Amino acid sequence: MAFTGLQIYKLLPKTNCGDCNFPTCMAFAMQLAAKKTSLDQCPHVSEEAKAQLAEASAPPMKLVSIGNDENKLEIGQETVLFRHKEKFYHPTGVAILVEDTITDDELDKEISSINQLKFTRVGEEIGINLVALQYSSTNAEDYARLAEKIIEKTALPLILICQDPSIMEPALKVIGDRRPLIYSATRENFEKMASLAKHYNSPLAVYAESLEELADLTQNIKKMGVDNLVLDPGTRKTGSALEYLTKLRRLAVDKVFRPLGYPTIIFTGEDDPFQEIVQAATYVCKYANIVVVKAKNTWQILPLLTVRQNIYTDPQVPNAVDSKLYEIGAVTPGSPVIVTTNFSLTYFTVESEVGNSKVPTHISVVETEGMGVLNAYAGDKWSAEKVAKTLEQQKVREKVDHNTIIIPGLVAVFRAELIDEFGWNVLVGPEEAARIPSFLKNEWKPGSKK
Amino acid sequence: MKKNKTKVTFLPQNETIEVEKGTTLLEASIRAGVYVNSICGGDGICGKCRLVVKEGDVTAHPTTLLKREDIKKGYVLACQTEVIDDVVVEVPPESRAEGKILIDKDAQRFRALYAPMKGQVFFKYEPLIQKIHLELPPPSLQDNISDHIRLYRSIRRQKKIPIMQTGLKIIKAIPYVLRKGNWEITATLGVRGGTVEIIQVEGGNTTDRNFAVAVDVGTSTVVAHLVNLTTFETMDAEATYNSQRVYGEEVTRRIIYAEQKGENKLREAIVEDINNLITTLISRNNIYLNDIMAVVCAGNTAMIHFLLGLNPSYLRKEPYIPVCTYPPPVRAAEVGIKINPRGLLYSLPSIASWVGADITAGILATGLYQADELTMLIDIGTNGEIVIGNKDWMVCCSASAGPAFEGSGVRSGMRAAEGAIEKVKISEEGKIQYTTIGGGKPRGVCGSGLIDVMAELFKAGFLDRSGRLNPDINGKIRDVKGELEFLLIPSSQTLTKDEIVITQADIENLLRAKAAIFAGINALTKMLSIEFSDIKRIYLAGGFGNYLDKENAVTLGLIPDVQRGRVQFVGNTAILGAKMTLLSKDALDTAYKISRNITYYDLITYPDYMDEFMSAKFLPHTDVSKFPTIMGKIKR
Repeated sequence: MAFTGLQIYKLLPKTNCGDCNFPTCMAFAMQLAAKKTSLDQCPHVSEEAKAQLAEASAPPMKLVSIGNDENKLEIGQETVLFRHKEKFYHPTGVAILVEDTITDDELDKEISSINQLKFTRVGEEIGINLVALQYSSTNAEDYARLAEKIIEKTALPLILICQDPSIMEPALKVIGDRRPLIYSATRENFEKMASLAKHYNSPLAVYAESLEELADLTQNIKKMGVDNLVLDPGTRKTGSALEYLTKLRRLAVDKVFRPLGYPTIIFTGEDDPFQEIVQAATYVCKYANIVVVKAKNTWQILPLLTVRQNIYTDPQVPNAVDSKLYEIGAVTPGSPVIVTTNFSLTYFTVESEVGNSKVPTHISVVETEGMGVLNAYAGDKWSAEKVAKTLEQQKVREKVDHNTIIIPGLVAVFRAELIDEFGWNVLVGPEEAARIPSFLKNEWKPGSKK
Repeated sequence: MKKNKTKVTFLPQNETIEVEKGTTLLEASIRAGVYVNSICGGDGICGKCRLVVKEGDVTAHPTTLLKREDIKKGYVLACQTEVIDDVVVEVPPESRAEGKILIDKDAQRFRALYAPMKGQVFFKYEPLIQKIHLELPPPSLQDNISDHIRLYRSIRRQKKIPIMQTGLKIIKAIPYVLRKGNWEITATLGVRGGTVEIIQVEGGNTTDRNFAVAVDVGTSTVVAHLVNLTTFETMDAEATYNSQRVYGEEVTRRIIYAEQKGENKLREAIVEDINNLITTLISRNNIYLNDIMAVVCAGNTAMIHFLLGLNPSYLRKEPYIPVCTYPPPVRAAEVGIKINPRGLLYSLPSIASWVGADITAGILATGLYQADELTMLIDIGTNGEIVIGNKDWMVCCSASAGPAFEGSGVRSGMRAAEGAIEKVKISEEGKIQYTTIGGGKPRGVCGSGLIDVMAELFKAGFLDRSGRLNPDINGKIRDVKGELEFLLIPSSQTLTKDEIVITQADIENLLRAKAAIFAGINALTKMLSIEFSDIKRIYLAGGFGNYLDKENAVTLGLIPDVQRGRVQFVGNTAILGAKMTLLSKDALDTAYKISRNITYYDLITYPDYMDEFMSAKFLPHTDVSKFPTIMGKIKR
């Protein structure tokens, strides 16, 4: 059970000495309970307290890693049911399912398309995390050979899907050193699967059709010394999967029920490509740690990755870009200058619309602690003084030969102040970024030449 | 010779005063000791100082604040009207003193507060200002030490004071006072941190004239108590609305004003309010200004910043940093407070930018800091501050409630003063019973009355759970220009001849205020992982006057539904705590300890606060299981 601030406080020296740079021991305890600082910030804590707190701070959900080194995927160790309470730490792994009935040529094509499924969104590269190889019809030898072929073509970690230990073992002999996720241990095979997982030091998925059975299985497997587990609650229907996944997360995080304190894996069941991706997106939101999709069409992937990226950002730390003068297109000293905030979503929206306009433009980004235009203005992070100072620092006066700047339409109210502060002509731009292209093409006119 | 003095007579008091021609009626009233309401303090902007000229001539500056028909009846604004000849004016009821805040139960409550705590040691009586009567041996050729050291020697024979200091001004006065007083004098000592300053020397024995004023400087209301430091008695009390209100109802707006136009106006406004309160108190009690030796302020942090002229700007900007939470004692005159020119101004220590010295004082007064059991203090003012803790630890937070419970932003609201309705019962038929402070005709409704009105309307079915007035019931709810309102007292029965109503907008304001406070309580307990049932005592504080119906406070969902025996209404603890420190240096030292050891929790960092707030905007709450004893009593 995670300690509350009060419980931690009782273990601290209670001197309010301030050496941890918090005002009081209680303030430090509260920050510690919220996981916003670490115990070693207190130089005076007793060894006894350290031991007690370390035990209690063991995460309620285990962190499981699949694969090796730089390509490994880490999942689990989530601490909350709702993102806004803290944040979600390890993004859901998206796995693409490959059947072992596939021909070599098809496999080549499939893997190269998976490798290419990479997108850059709001300044971050997003893509597929895992390849899942489904055993269905071939023999053990062919299954192992296919697995080997996949690891030659991609650095992504693998999920081996097969519940027959005699098929699993030869495959592991070939690719076991890549630490694939072994899927899966069941009531029937768990002893053999667990010893394979132990031998190859690989994570193991556990499959059962009820939560009770899952809890039994994980306890038995743990007794064998295997603790890197991923849970599959069995169902392939959206409704019941959602129910089980929610129960699993609640039991792990709220009740700190250790037998189910592991990350989860779930498979899509829908065949229609639209339905399938809606289903997968649902699981990303609540609460799959790995979602395995068929995704026959590559277009299905982007929306799924977008949802995942949105859910797994830290809601308490706005995404921000660097405050500097960005040059979009082949800018000249005559190009317009747009001022905006450093909130990623704001910046990238403006940037993409400027790109659409085909008008080369300078974008001056003001440091607003990751707030959007109106929030920054209301929160005093965006003042005429600050914008003028930013423009000076970015040497806008030297870089352009006109004297006009464009401000967001939402803060038209501070136009006059900025004119006073910076001395240039200030044009009020559109309120919505979507109108930037037409604004730049039709309304933008540079002020008088210097 | 041309007569340049003229007589002004005030009715119904029948007080006459002689003043110079050209004096405003407001000034004349202050000199005559006749109280006339004035919120703006004579700037001609509040329109509250209405007088009726009965006889004689005056020069009235034009104003838009009086209606044409009133002007015809002889109404003028006291501050905008100069006397040019003998004149008789009447102070109409709406301009008369809102009376003094009643204090007779104050001392009683003070004692009751400590009764439940066994083994409680009262603070040692050692007032911040002490007067010592001295008979010094006259100097001789043998005993030839300086006058100054002679004085120290005599003081130290009575008091153990290792470090003393004296200002040059007093040192200059010593030889004259000693010799004129024939070596019998009274020295006034003031505590300044670790040292003691001789702030006054007088001939003879004046030890019976040692007074001080405790002030609760609130965002909306300023309350002052006059204390006799020799007898520890609270002699009188007076209150006024904070006249900084013209610069903005909210603290943040006032800070922005200060940033744009400078802090001076705001400092002047609050200093003026305090000076006016002191003037009223001393004139009513026949005390000389010179005998007021100290003022202790327990105000919220922003108000203390304004008062001392500290830059308030960083209070409102993240991460919300006060310039100073432990202001040292300063010369009162330095900030413009008019008492004895050498008198001292003490500011109690505050806790954080949004939890002020009023809460430090509240913790001191309730003894929360030394309670064995988990105790909660809820102080309802313009902000609702909540403290939870005991002798081991204390955590506090501040919820922005708005001034509705102080009677501001509510049509017929007023502060707890004479004529305020403080207690109300409403039957299902809409029959109303009420009592007013002082027992006279009602002028408006104060905080405790507003809590009663809301709860009673809710219980009688006039108000639904979402706080909407129900227009179909008994025809008691009127629709006035599209807004629903409940008529509480018809104009024929009120002092001001204005009817007293509660409107839908008033209810909205009150609902928001109570929701903010309850959400704060809920957030703080959740953050600490404690249940309401763990809290063994709840102190409910605020300037409600002498009375607060706990049952109705729970019915509204303002405070948690716990055993009523655990809830104790403690009144204005800010002023109580301030008075304790005046009477005991130990209490002041304890206040410093409290503010150092308490932990401030900023509700901004509580992610669910808005959800908590929305859930609390129902009567009593969205989650009725939190209020098991209330739901049975509600008429559906």
